[in-house]
Amino acid sequence: MAAKPKISMYWASSCGGCEIALVNIHEHLLELADNFDFVFCPCLLDTKRHDIEAMDDGEMLITFFNGALRTSENIEMAHLLRRKSTLLVAFGSCASGGCIPALANLTTREALMETVYGSGPTLDNAVHVVPGPTTTVPEGDLTLPVFERTVGTLASAVDVDYVIPGCPPESAQIWAVIAHVIAGKPLPPKGSVLGAGDKTVCDDCKRVKEEKLVSRFHRTWEIIPDRTQCLLEQGIVCMGIATRSGCGGLCPDVNMPCIGCYGPPEGVRDQGAKMIGALGAIIDVQPMKDMGEARVAAHIAEVLDTIPDLAGTLYKFSLGGSLMQGGLATANAATQATTAESTAR
Amino acid sequence: MTKRITIDPITRLEGHGKIEIFLNDDGDVEQTYFQVPELRGFEQFCLGRKAEDMPNITNRICGVCPEAHHMAATKALDAVFGVEPPSAAKKIRELFYSAFYATDHTTHFYALGGPDFIVGPDAPASERNILGVISKVGVEIGKTVIACRARNHHIIKMLGGRAVHPTAGLPGGWSKSISADERLLIEQTARENIEFALFSLQAFDDLVLKNSGYVELILSDIYRHRTYSMGTVDANGQLNFYDGQVRVVDPDGAEFVQYAPKDYAEHLAETVLPYSYLKYPYLKQVGWKGFEDGNDSGVYAATPLTRLNVSEGMPTPRAQEHYERMYTTFGCAKVSARRYAPIHHRLATHWARTSSCSTPPSACSSWRPTPRSRAMRCG
Repeated sequence: MAAKPKISMYWASSCGGCEIALVNIHEHLLELADNFDFVFCPCLLDTKRHDIEAMDDGEMLITFFNGALRTSENIEMAHLLRRKSTLLVAFGSCASGGCIPALANLTTREALMETVYGSGPTLDNAVHVVPGPTTTVPEGDLTLPVFERTVGTLASAVDVDYVIPGCPPESAQIWAVIAHVIAGKPLPPKGSVLGAGDKTVCDDCKRVKEEKLVSRFHRTWEIIPDRTQCLLEQGIVCMGIATRSGCGGLCPDVNMPCIGCYGPPEGVRDQGAKMIGALGAIIDVQPMKDMGEARVAAHIAEVLDTIPDLAGTLYKFSLGGSLMQGGLATANAATQATTAESTAR
Repeated sequence: MTKRITIDPITRLEGHGKIEIFLNDDGDVEQTYFQVPELRGFEQFCLGRKAEDMPNITNRICGVCPEAHHMAATKALDAVFGVEPPSAAKKIRELFYSAFYATDHTTHFYALGGPDFIVGPDAPASERNILGVISKVGVEIGKTVIACRARNHHIIKMLGGRAVHPTAGLPGGWSKSISADERLLIEQTARENIEFALFSLQAFDDLVLKNSGYVELILSDIYRHRTYSMGTVDANGQLNFYDGQVRVVDPDGAEFVQYAPKDYAEHLAETVLPYSYLKYPYLKQVGWKGFEDGNDSGVYAATPLTRLNVSEGMPTPRAQEHYERMYTTFGCAKVSARRYAPIHHRLATHWARTSSCSTPPSACSSWRPTPRSRAMRCG
């Protein structure tokens, strides 16, 4: 019997939700095990890094790489798994868009370190210890990966074959992709998005959509929304209109807005820019008809002021892969290039 | 010369870690260092975000237990807004949370920690996992385990919006109401969960307790740490997963402190060690003395086992029966009318997990929805 193809899942800067989403294919796990040799997944299997280093290049057919690139170790693992995998998939929003960890790109590494180790309310650190790359203890040296300047996506460091979006990707979608491979069906062109639709969440959302005209926006706790009408029409900032379909519209189903975890829809590079365009288009112009130019600008500003933290709202899951990448993309690329060089074989 | 063993990465849990073990000339362990090579910095990037975004941001701390983080942030919102959820919302939250701990304990017992016992500590590394468990116990039992996870994740998704990273938490409420049909499904799920917990206790009995080698390992000093124990208790001082006060007992079982969650900063502090990005929490009133056991060290554990260590027995008869059996097996004396001296053998945590799951959520028996139950919001 021919050896089964190898499959792996790795987490870089991530939460483990992608692993649980994989386990939540439930009874299909048995089919996965029948058709693949599941060789590496720190959350679920005991395989170590040295076992992967010992493999031949391209030995694994597929690696689902989740997590963003936050540390030098994350970047090293991206390079290692790229080499050892025939197909490297950016799995989940962290790997594809930076997700929640990339919100750190709105601040600096120094400020982050100061908050975490210097000024937290429960901190006991009078001598101001900050963990660093090497610590000498009586028995030898202990090392930690470098905490890079900014958070990058998988594609910021290595060549990526496919993307499976979502935070985490929905289990039915994960299984659909795996079943497609098991069936031996041809894969779409390199760079394609798998396990998702090519429209927006609105296309799957069951809520009734009529005319979108909003005089102000509401925070989720300010109103009890109608249960059947489009949330955006009710003034709640629902990201569905700027988010790729694939989940089935789950959050609006429980009366909460889409928060954008499937990333930008097909053909859109920047999810936040798409959303700001959509918001601009739905502001009710009727009250502005007889206003002068200055008053119109002030009025629009007032309406937008009803949405605090635009960056954190519109780019919650996609900042690392966005056009602005938190504004520090150039520095990040330079750091990553240096790290990649030093870790290359 | 010192010999060094590096375990990198540590596996079958959520989170990144490596362990450096240094051996002396006799081949015995001289010193061990646990390092967390990972940091995201939620403390920093949560600043400037909307308060109501916290349940959706902090749940990404851990995707294995996002429900816990989602709920903690939601309860923090209750406090920030100064609103008490209506009774129905509290019950829905508790039902949601109960489905979570049933599936989470199942994940741990069968897929994460448990394979060490179910497949065996000497089994090849490639078999010590959920797939190895299924080959060991057989596909039919494997399917029972999978079905338990599936039905509870279904409830989590139904009540919370998503099976991983739910979204329904609001200050003073919960965005999803339940219909009469959904209520029946939840009740049926809870009943099946209790059957499954009893099945798992039996499996623990057959696979572990009937194996003298394993029992010796569990009872040995290798896995014993005499620390403080922490857990949440209700007004009767009994185990509660959703609400109550945080109780801490000392290594001998004497009550050390009981406090409201909002007062955590008076009781807990975190120290920083240069070789790990993780900060190390400890009991502030005792103080950080390093990785030391005993009453003078502020190290505490907050686990399924310590939840039972602080609890005045269990709230339901069947769970009480298994609780009694566990503590008497370990030879613990009673320290109060219903509570035993703490168990410090860490491998007993698996047993505690399955015992906790034989406790039905209190909301299950008292929740009666009206036909027109609606989404709950504050205000």
